[in-house]
Amino acid sequence: MPEQTEKDTFDELLDLRMKAQLEQRDRIDPIEAKVLTFRIDGQTYAVEIDCVDEIIELPAVTAVPAVPEYVMGVINVRSRVVPVMSVRKRFGKEEIPYTDRTCVLIITVAGMTVGLIADSVSDVVSIRRSCISATPDIQNVNADKFIKYIAEPESGRCLVLDAERLIGADDVTV
Amino acid sequence: MARVEPGMESMLDMYFFETGSLLEQLDEILIRTESANAFAEEDINEVFRIMHTIKGSSAMMGFDNLQKLAHKGEDLFFIIREKPELVKDARFVYELIFNVSDLYKAEIEIIQNSPEDFEPTDFSDTITKLEDAAKRLKAMESGEAVDAGAAEAGSLPPESGASGTMTVRVMFESGCGMENLRAFLLLNKMKDDAEIIACLPKDVETNASTAAFIIENGFVIVFKAIEGKNEDILKIIEDAVNVESYEVIDTAQPKAEEKPEQSAPKPDEKPDTAKPDKEQPEPKKAGAQKQSLISVNLSKLDHLHDIVGEIITTESMVLSSPDLEGLKLESFSKAARQLRKLTDELQDTVMSIRMVPLAGAFQKMGRVVRDMKVKLNKDAELVLEGEDTEVDKSIVDMLGDPLMHLVRNCMDHGIETSADERISLGKPAKACVKLSARNSSGEVIITVSDDGGGIDTEKVLAKAEKSGLLTRPADEYSEKEILNMILLPGFSTNEKVTEYSGRGVGMDVVKSNIEQIGGTLNVESERHKGTSFIIKIPLTLAIIDGMKLEVGATVFTIPITSVKESLMANKDQLLTDTAGNEMIMIRGVCYPIIRLHKRFGIENAVTDLAEGALLTVDAGGKDVCLFADRLIGEQPVVVKPFPRYLTRYNIKQLGLSGCTVLGDGSISLIIDANNILSD
Repeated sequence: MPEQTEKDTFDELLDLRMKAQLEQRDRIDPIEAKVLTFRIDGQTYAVEIDCVDEIIELPAVTAVPAVPEYVMGVINVRSRVVPVMSVRKRFGKEEIPYTDRTCVLIITVAGMTVGLIADSVSDVVSIRRSCISATPDIQNVNADKFIKYIAEPESGRCLVLDAERLIGADDVTV
Repeated sequence: MARVEPGMESMLDMYFFETGSLLEQLDEILIRTESANAFAEEDINEVFRIMHTIKGSSAMMGFDNLQKLAHKGEDLFFIIREKPELVKDARFVYELIFNVSDLYKAEIEIIQNSPEDFEPTDFSDTITKLEDAAKRLKAMESGEAVDAGAAEAGSLPPESGASGTMTVRVMFESGCGMENLRAFLLLNKMKDDAEIIACLPKDVETNASTAAFIIENGFVIVFKAIEGKNEDILKIIEDAVNVESYEVIDTAQPKAEEKPEQSAPKPDEKPDTAKPDKEQPEPKKAGAQKQSLISVNLSKLDHLHDIVGEIITTESMVLSSPDLEGLKLESFSKAARQLRKLTDELQDTVMSIRMVPLAGAFQKMGRVVRDMKVKLNKDAELVLEGEDTEVDKSIVDMLGDPLMHLVRNCMDHGIETSADERISLGKPAKACVKLSARNSSGEVIITVSDDGGGIDTEKVLAKAEKSGLLTRPADEYSEKEILNMILLPGFSTNEKVTEYSGRGVGMDVVKSNIEQIGGTLNVESERHKGTSFIIKIPLTLAIIDGMKLEVGATVFTIPITSVKESLMANKDQLLTDTAGNEMIMIRGVCYPIIRLHKRFGIENAVTDLAEGALLTVDAGGKDVCLFADRLIGEQPVVVKPFPRYLTRYNIKQLGLSGCTVLGDGSISLIIDANNILSD
């Protein structure tokens, strides 16, 4: 066991202090959720991290007939057949060509696994209670029914989506 | 309130599984012997063995009530074993044992539902009945059963003291019950590490009366360690359940030069206790032979299956990697071929593991028919056909309830009430309920049919009208539509509600149960000839031989079994009717053409019929011609159901049954020819 230098002890104290500070902050302003942020059409959206299984590159999509336009088809995720949905189309936006940043968020909600195609995935962000603001009650905003709340963490504003409604069957066509 | 003893939870699943299959076996034997009205010696031994095993394992799990019940059942068969012919005049035995079997199943279900906290059922009524039955049989019997075990009570077995052996006297905890079985369990435990040379009393497994002897004198075992020291074996004895104490009576050390084979007794000197038995096969050389069957958790198999799927996909990715293009790799391709062969074999094996024959589900129906025969006073026999057809395990489990309901329906509604009625129609007095299964184009078709009165379509229609189930004028319904009305919710033509069927819930439940596993249910019936319920279920996870077709940029797969022929069209074969429907004339027969690109809305496909490929397929009894761009080739594929998210859309009605992952990792949709015509 090497002897502990003064510096080590100091660092340790510092660590403890920071930890205490963080803990206090958590008490006053608890972390409400951890979300994964992704960008679509310049806007940052997010889904709660609990429902995200994995993020993959967009593989070849096999189109399936008789489904809404925003369901692009099915993909093969390690031998599992997973339907993919274009979030762009789901929000009534124009489809853009896929780039090497295009990726698929595999999420599982209510026992159903669905892939969401996003322009790019950004980061995992902790959302504290203080930075959540409720959605404004605006009717006729197309994306509104999918949004759970708006959060403004330090990293920038994001719209946290309600994954259940996003893949819900009660889709009123745009 | 009781609960499963701590430490036994891990054994619980095994107990349920084992007892469940034993009870099924019991039912099957009883049904067979009842109809033959004679117990063969091996049947009695088998029943005896079943009762005994249940008793033993129940006692081990601490289910006292179940143990007592089996114990009395065993007693009864102990008498029967001595005088099998007694049963001929004592049909009540069957009723009683069936009853016991039912009680067991019910109790197991109770425990299964809440192993933490359940109320043990009081079986004293049935136990009294069993005791009475035993008394009645005894009274019928002239002689008395000889109590064999206790007679042998003597000193040590003669084998003790032989070279290299050790003799131990084991005392069990007082009041633990079934001492003879505990002794037997102990022997079994020791068998792996020690050779049991002799023991006293001898027939602990089969003779319950030895328990008293063991309580009084202890259980003496002469054994010899196979490897290592005899002292190590003592540890096993010490650790065994319910062993209170043990003492070493005699230790004979092996002579220094003597080889173990010389001192070991010949195989025929083995004690009776270790009689070969299905549940506990006796190893000839301990450890060399083990059970050839194991039960595995289904989720592990699912996982294995997924991994194999991934391996195969990854393999194709490696072998068709663009990096390899243009390279001459002789030994690589040789190794690659070998790898492909092995992975193919691996896949086949994994698939076959999950497949189980339908026999289990079918044989359970024997009991249903037998019970209803007695209750409804109808004479019928159950005929099984194709019960070795294999289906995925999860499907077999799901089929139990629907099958039972259909069989009950056949017995209750299908078969005529009296034999005279049947005879007057020129049918044999004994009715027949038939269960058959067969494979057909990627599906398993299970038919439950009877040769009874058939369905009275007029009655059905009238009833449907009365219940307000009709949406069109009554005379617009086809016969097939009327027959399928009985599958609607809230429909039952039987005026009387019986114990088994006739509540009007049921047929629709059966239908929805079957639809849940992706199957369909249809009814066919002919007046005075009989009724058939036809269940079609897809073989999820099954491998089918598929023909790959290209339509536009999409690759579809069609089960090769539904393809009749493939051809290129000649311009003069094609014709169009007045409504614009395209047709093709092949050898004087006219087939409608279905353009797949239109059906599935695919762009950039070949539109000139003479350019693409045509496939004649069987679309549910009607032949049609499918038009695709070109045929790619044959490949065995794994059928996967559509993901749950997509089930809300009408994909299946469009004529697609599922998907499959192709060698290059892309997904291909599987065409269901049977539905290609539906709207």
